Amino acid sequence: MIAAIGLVVGIILGLLLTPDVPQWLEPYLPIAVVAALDAVFGALRAFLDGIFNDKVFVISFVSNVVIAALIVFLGDKLGVGAQLSTGVVVVLGIRIFSNVAAIRRHIFHA
Amino acid sequence: MSSPAEEQQERISVGLIEYLSRHTLDEDYARVARNRPGRRSSWLATGAMLATLALFGVLVFTAASQTTRNASTAERDRATLIDQVNARRASVQERNDRVRALRRENDQIDTDLLAGRQSGSSVFARVQRLSVLTGAGKVRGQGVRVVVDDAPNATSDRNKVLDSDLQKLVNGLWEAGAEAISINGQRLTNLSAIRQAGQAINVNYRPLTAPYTVLALGNMNTLPSRFAETTHGATWFDLQQQVGLRFDMKTDRTLVLPAADQLSLRYATRLKEEPR
Repeated sequence: MIAAIGLVVGIILGLLLTPDVPQWLEPYLPIAVVAALDAVFGALRAFLDGIFNDKVFVISFVSNVVIAALIVFLGDKLGVGAQLSTGVVVVLGIRIFSNVAAIRRHIFHA
Repeated sequence: MSSPAEEQQERISVGLIEYLSRHTLDEDYARVARNRPGRRSSWLATGAMLATLALFGVLVFTAASQTTRNASTAERDRATLIDQVNARRASVQERNDRVRALRRENDQIDTDLLAGRQSGSSVFARVQRLSVLTGAGKVRGQGVRVVVDDAPNATSDRNKVLDSDLQKLVNGLWEAGAEAISINGQRLTNLSAIRQAGQAINVNYRPLTAPYTVLALGNMNTLPSRFAETTHGATWFDLQQQVGLRFDMKTDRTLVLPAADQLSLRYATRLKEEPR
């Protein structure tokens, strides 16, 4: 419940502020969003498993976003940015898929 | 939960994908729940969680709106470029029309000037006669209509009409006594070039596409037979037989040839005539 409120507040904030993303940050935004998605789905699964913890969520969220952006940044510097982003998206995608599958098992018991 | 050593062993023994899909959840959740079961979270942690979720909302929304905005910017750029291209094309067309109109006006003024003078009429007649030969004027008369085209199912340059083939055809026709020649509406002058440029053949610097219709004014009774006797004519019959190029010559009682578009001397200038 509280989590949903936080999410709604965030979206409304984004809608009101429409923050302009600086040019240098623009390539890392999509990958950061994917990493954040992974953290959020992981948290939802942990919540349904009954082992959710605020602190762990915050830390995993921030570290996920920072590391994903860092990997892409490093890749850009080395000239393999696109390939590394693909790798990050694949790994995070697999995690998101199996987390969502676990959530589905919890909700529908199937 | 497995010990770190066992985990290490597992990471090595199973494949990467397998390992990834087995350990999708952060192990910290399980570890914290195991170490400190039933502990209430502090207000601070809850606040941090809320802030993080809000940040997530902002992040998602920003990324989405940014992508949409970028897409619309790209679309607008494209539309602007297309508009510019179209505008330029229209302006070129307009200028070409103007060039044509001015030339027509010049011709008219020339005619008026010459006709107005006492001595002008003979000069005017001479100009008219010369314009037939030089290609500056539109002409009509009897002659032949030659249609040439690539061989059916042409694959290589060997069975296509090349610039050299057209040159031979035209030279053969001149030799056979043609007085004026045009190719696909391009009147040939003594400065006309027939040249291959990529896939197309350029005549008077205009790209033409097959089939090529060559109109030649001349005696329609003798032109075909005299053409057949020239070396170029013989070459063309060879091309027709061996390579399969299409070649179709028909006589025509009334042919109309357009005037040449450009008649500009680039190097020669007129010598001032001394008064007699």
